Amino acid sequence: MRSQVYEWDAGRDTAASATSTGSALSIFIGGRGNNITKPAETTATQFVVIEDIGITPTAYHGATGSSGTYRGLRHDTAAECSGPRAYIQVRINTTDYFLDPDNIGNDGIPGSAAPYPRSVFFQPSFNLYPDVYVLPGQTWDVLVTHYSASGFAASTASAAAGEMQAFVKYTLYDGPDALIANKLLEMGVSVNPGNVDWYKRTLISGASAAPLA
Amino acid sequence: MRSQVYEWSNVGGNSTRRTAGDAGVGTVASGVDLDIFIGGQGNNITKPAETTATQFVVIEDVSCSPQLAGALQIRINTTDYFQNPDVTDQAGIPGLASPYPRGAQNASTTSFTPDTSTDDNTALLASFNLYPDVYVLPGQTWTVLYRPISAAVAATDGVAAFVKYTLYDGPDALIANKLLEMGVTVNPNNVDWYKRTLIEQQSAAAMAATAAAANGGGQ
Repeated sequence: MRSQVYEWDAGRDTAASATSTGSALSIFIGGRGNNITKPAETTATQFVVIEDIGITPTAYHGATGSSGTYRGLRHDTAAECSGPRAYIQVRINTTDYFLDPDNIGNDGIPGSAAPYPRSVFFQPSFNLYPDVYVLPGQTWDVLVTHYSASGFAASTASAAAGEMQAFVKYTLYDGPDALIANKLLEMGVSVNPGNVDWYKRTLISGASAAPLA
Repeated sequence: MRSQVYEWSNVGGNSTRRTAGDAGVGTVASGVDLDIFIGGQGNNITKPAETTATQFVVIEDVSCSPQLAGALQIRINTTDYFQNPDVTDQAGIPGLASPYPRGAQNASTTSFTPDTSTDDNTALLASFNLYPDVYVLPGQTWTVLYRPISAAVAATDGVAAFVKYTLYDGPDALIANKLLEMGVTVNPNNVDWYKRTLIEQQSAAAMAATAAAANGGGQ
């Protein structure tokens, strides 16, 4: 099992811009920012546990009338806030994880609740618990929706490096650890490194006790 | 069971969904409760929030912008959760006690203009933790109300509110109800614990049946 992270920056490679506002953008293969070569999927011997997500926050305040910055976030002068108004959603196969209270899929976690990077001025209100499990053979994705291109460099309305970033922390269980993760899931036990190690110790204790019996 | 959030802001004025290039902000009257789900200002949802017969909701956190002395109230059916000591109505949890975002600037009674504010380096932390959690039982309607106390939210003030809750559905909702009957706190750990207990009981029953069969079908 290995702790893994993925960081996406809308300003790298083909930068996100005004044309991408309002639409859900895959941080893996969305064609904006840094991407990977193929969709994220687990093989038959892999099990992924997504433990944390975060995205650039937004600050809400009074009218500014200027195109400056507030706490490192560029003003959206039209909407009385600073930052990209960005949200981050997890999708497993074709199902969005986060829903509105009317049971309709929403944009996901707001950056103001799960900020990346965290700072004194932007601390998390949200903790992804219970974790999100990606079972063997499933495809998963993380989608970013942003509504304010004014939150980017005013002259180009394209994201500069660092203006909108997303972060995913997950643990990859592979080989026998993935089998144990599946077993824990069947047992109703949370899948985390501590419990996987506990299950291994239980198996070893059982195997050691058998010859003695 | 799934961790869920809902964020409301008055940015965009009055639209059910956020849209690209939202401009302007909705106004909210001082001292008046605004339903952040279906209140007609800012982003809304399509119908009142309610749990079906196979859903159980646990509200774990609420917070809002601290400026204008904003506060958040939870309402289950027609009952407000937060009350004054004399059991009269109150606005709810102040944004100063539960700020959104955490680390927001201290602008307790007024709006603020970032470029000119002298309090730019203040960062509010949470004084309030919603514990015990608030349960929304199957079949109940719930909502969250935002109220600016010191002044109306003007058309130049951006404000936001945030709700964190866990949705238990299907068998998890049945287990949540069972835990509630038992007086056990409903949280993901306890739901998993109850599942494990059920599995252990089933395994023990199966082993007992096997042992009985091996002994000739019992005495």
